Amino acid sequence: MIAVLALLAGVLLGLWLDPTVPAALQPYLPIAVVAALDAVFGGVRAKLDRIFDDKQFVVSFISNVLVAALIVYLGDQLGVGGQLSTGVVVVLGVRIFGNVAAIRRHLFRA
Amino acid sequence: MSDDPGQGRRGARAFTPDFLTELFRNPLDPGYADAAAQRARTGRPARSGWSVGPVGLVVIVLLGFLFAVAYRQTMAEEPGRAQARSGLVAQIKQRQGETDALSTRAEELREEVNRQREAALGGSHAARLRELEASTGLGRVRGDGVVVELADGPSGQDSLSGGGAGPAQVIYLDLQSVANDLWGAGAEAIAINGQRLTSTSTIRSAGQAILVDFRPVTGPYEVSAIGPGGMRKRYEASYSALTMRKVAQVNGLSFAVRDADDLTLPAAPEPRLRYAEPAVSPSVSSSGGDESSGSGTSPSPSGGGR
Repeated sequence: MIAVLALLAGVLLGLWLDPTVPAALQPYLPIAVVAALDAVFGGVRAKLDRIFDDKQFVVSFISNVLVAALIVYLGDQLGVGGQLSTGVVVVLGVRIFGNVAAIRRHLFRA
Repeated sequence: MSDDPGQGRRGARAFTPDFLTELFRNPLDPGYADAAAQRARTGRPARSGWSVGPVGLVVIVLLGFLFAVAYRQTMAEEPGRAQARSGLVAQIKQRQGETDALSTRAEELREEVNRQREAALGGSHAARLRELEASTGLGRVRGDGVVVELADGPSGQDSLSGGGAGPAQVIYLDLQSVANDLWGAGAEAIAINGQRLTSTSTIRSAGQAILVDFRPVTGPYEVSAIGPGGMRKRYEASYSALTMRKVAQVNGLSFAVRDADDLTLPAAPEPRLRYAEPAVSPSVSSSGGDESSGSGTSPSPSGGGR
């Protein structure tokens, strides 16, 4: 419950502050969002598996976002930014799907 | 994650070639399982319910913040893209308008020049000039003649008629042959959809479009020709008229020839003259023998012949 409230608070904060993203960081924003989603679904699944761990969640969120951004940055420097970000999205997408499927099994027993 | 207690186990788990299978089968971070195992070992109870620690809360707030920012960013970019598109469309429209205005102005100026020239020349010279301009397509002409109308058949017809009959569409070759046969039938001036043909005009296709002098024309096509009285009869007997009638019968496109009185055909745009330039080659000195013939055939830049 508190977590949901915190999420809402974050959304409202973001809408209210309306920060401008520096142009240099703009390509990494969608990737960061996908990585964050992966961490979130991983956390929810762990919660349902009753193995949720605070520290693990924080670390996985931060490292996910940073590593995804780093990979895309590296790809940009190497001239394969588009392909690498596709790769990142595919891998994270697979993980999100798997975790959502596990969550679904937990919630609906199906 | 580096201070994770499951180091020993993790060290044993190398990335096998089956890494992707592993990824698909078990998408959860193994760290969660490790942490749970450690908790079970130390006997520390797991947190109950949905409560998270202060750091977790901060991260979740950060998460919501990130989502909101990304949403804002995407929304902000969307009108930009639409704007760029509509901006381009507006630019195209504007440039087209400018082109039209400029060509109208060019027309006016040309008329002005013609009037001035006639006033300056006077008499037989002016009349001869007018005649030449009329026959080369540089002057507007009026007279009686023939109008050939071609139009695409109704779309979807082609699949019905089938049988290798081809699509019910007018192609550039049709316009070419009609124009050529009209010239053959004695036409003195021809225009396609108001585009005057000259001796250097082209009728080509570019993709789906037909270009007359590099300007697109769209159906229905109207080939107007001014010529002597018997032109229609002669044209009706020509090869292209017979072919087109047959094609119209089979493919379902429309083709009609009618007499028209008092046609006005516009002037063609001023042709861009291209001059041949003598190549500067060392072979000039070697063929120095026949200088008289060489000077006679060399094109002079002033020889535009207008």
